[in-house]
Amino acid sequence: MPLIDPNVVDLSRLQFALTALYHFLFVPLTLGLTIMLAAMETVYVITGKQVYKDMTHFWGKLFGINFAIGVATGLTMEFEFGTNWSMYSHFVGDVFGTPLAIEGLMAFFMESTFVGLMFFGWDRLSKPAHLAVTYLVALGSNLSALWILVANGFMQNPQGASFDPDTMRMQFNDFTALVFSPDAQAKFVHTSIAGFVAGAMFVMGISAYYMLRGRHREFAARSFRMAALFGLVSTLAVVTLGDALGRLDYLVQPTKIAAMEGLWHTSTPPSAPWLIAALPNDATQSNSMEIGVPYVLTPLVAHSLNTPIPGLIDLEQANVPRVDNGIKAIAALQQYGETHSATSLATFKQYENDMGYGFLAQRYAPNQDVNLITPALLPSVEQQAVKDSIPNVFVTFWSFRIMMVLGFYFVAIFAFAAYYSLKNQLEKHPMLLKLCMWSIPAPILATEFGWVTAEAGRQPWTVYGWLPTFQSASSHDVGYMIFSLAGFALLYSAFIAAELYLMFKFARLGPDEHGVAAHHSPVDASIAAPIFAKPGFANKSWE
Amino acid sequence: MGTIVKFGALAAVIVFALFLAVVAGDYGPWYFAWLVGTTMIILISVAGAVMFETQLTINEDRRL
Repeated sequence: MPLIDPNVVDLSRLQFALTALYHFLFVPLTLGLTIMLAAMETVYVITGKQVYKDMTHFWGKLFGINFAIGVATGLTMEFEFGTNWSMYSHFVGDVFGTPLAIEGLMAFFMESTFVGLMFFGWDRLSKPAHLAVTYLVALGSNLSALWILVANGFMQNPQGASFDPDTMRMQFNDFTALVFSPDAQAKFVHTSIAGFVAGAMFVMGISAYYMLRGRHREFAARSFRMAALFGLVSTLAVVTLGDALGRLDYLVQPTKIAAMEGLWHTSTPPSAPWLIAALPNDATQSNSMEIGVPYVLTPLVAHSLNTPIPGLIDLEQANVPRVDNGIKAIAALQQYGETHSATSLATFKQYENDMGYGFLAQRYAPNQDVNLITPALLPSVEQQAVKDSIPNVFVTFWSFRIMMVLGFYFVAIFAFAAYYSLKNQLEKHPMLLKLCMWSIPAPILATEFGWVTAEAGRQPWTVYGWLPTFQSASSHDVGYMIFSLAGFALLYSAFIAAELYLMFKFARLGPDEHGVAAHHSPVDASIAAPIFAKPGFANKSWE
Repeated sequence: MGTIVKFGALAAVIVFALFLAVVAGDYGPWYFAWLVGTTMIILISVAGAVMFETQLTINEDRRL
């Protein structure tokens, strides 16, 4: 099989990364805001207070902007699997297509249908019926994420499928194993609740903006309270689930964990340091600089005090026998393709699980034919192939660090915000309000870096252990890839610009100018006064 | 009649929740955790809003 031009592979990766990262600017907010809308409307149905209906209306409109543009950016990605990743689609289309189809048919249609009812059904549905619709929107958006992450879980830890040497592709044979794969489950929960954090920060930040300006006070104070508590519990859950996800990766993707921790050599428990900062050098396979805290790495990663954590250099060398087996598997597969003999099939079956490592070796074989690897060439091919079997450490290490630092920052900011909101003392802490406002993009950035950690850490595989990335792309030419990449970059940048323009516009206008009468309830008007009745608060400018 | 229907509906919710707890708890513990966790996050947020209203009422009473 001829190799695809490495430049085309890199451009295909760049294009997918770009479109995925662009798309993921919208996804977390959708996941979080829908659940927050459900919570707000629940309070409306319980208390009957108009202000909570207004809140659901206003935040719902901002959700609507985000949802519409988010959908537009997501659609192209599904086509990209076919246009830019045709080898991958051929290899795992049977498995990968199933969750994507369910996502489109079940979750996305469900979400879109109920979004319409949610926006236009206020005067047509009873309160409980509308509340049920809002919950179904929330469920639908999170189910969309579920099926995408089930598909991604398969790429991280392939389960529920086996390779068929007759069709030369993965055959799907266990739906339950695919859906209940631990990786899919953990990824969904971590990602979905990270979206809750993004939604909470968005509501809290814009509410803080109104408070600083002395606008829409009762509306903002209630939104802030709900978002602060929502965000605090969500952030604690995300941090805990992140640790559990790391533990899972330690078991199934040791190279990713070693890269995330900048660990080149197997650690010596229990004193192995956890690196706060380092400058990993992929070329020399060492860290130029390290700042670490001793005795933290082993319990953090292995949840024990005496388990060594395998380092990347040792993991590389442990892959040498797998490369050997993989070469035998590929050779047997080629022979089976020509002769269909039972012997070659039996040989292939014996080494099947290491087939992916044979693909890694194929790149360094003469004429990309593993049958031409002589005993003299074998050690060189082995060493080159195993060097490819680990991810880029610098990118994985730092994207993980940034995500983690942001996660702990969210715990702190939500904790202070919830505390002062519960004590009704937000007005005494304008710096906190300003911080909340400026932190609106931070959870979205954290999810982006989390995504980079997960995907860059999975390299060199598209399907872990089975299909290398360099064999997954389509055989386009470089010019086509540059043209389409530039087109996507321009189009998606336009989407981002439109989103930011509309979000800023409608957030600045606020609920009043938005057609939402936030202050028309006589009950609310009377009880709103005490909170911000302190002289000077309304007129004071902290900006 | 309305009470019986409500009772029946709530009983059905309980049966469904127990079914989820058994099935999802066995096969998909993380999914089950998501269901329970999301419900808890919503409830805590809702409780915060209800508490807000109570605080305002108390403040209002004190002012009067």
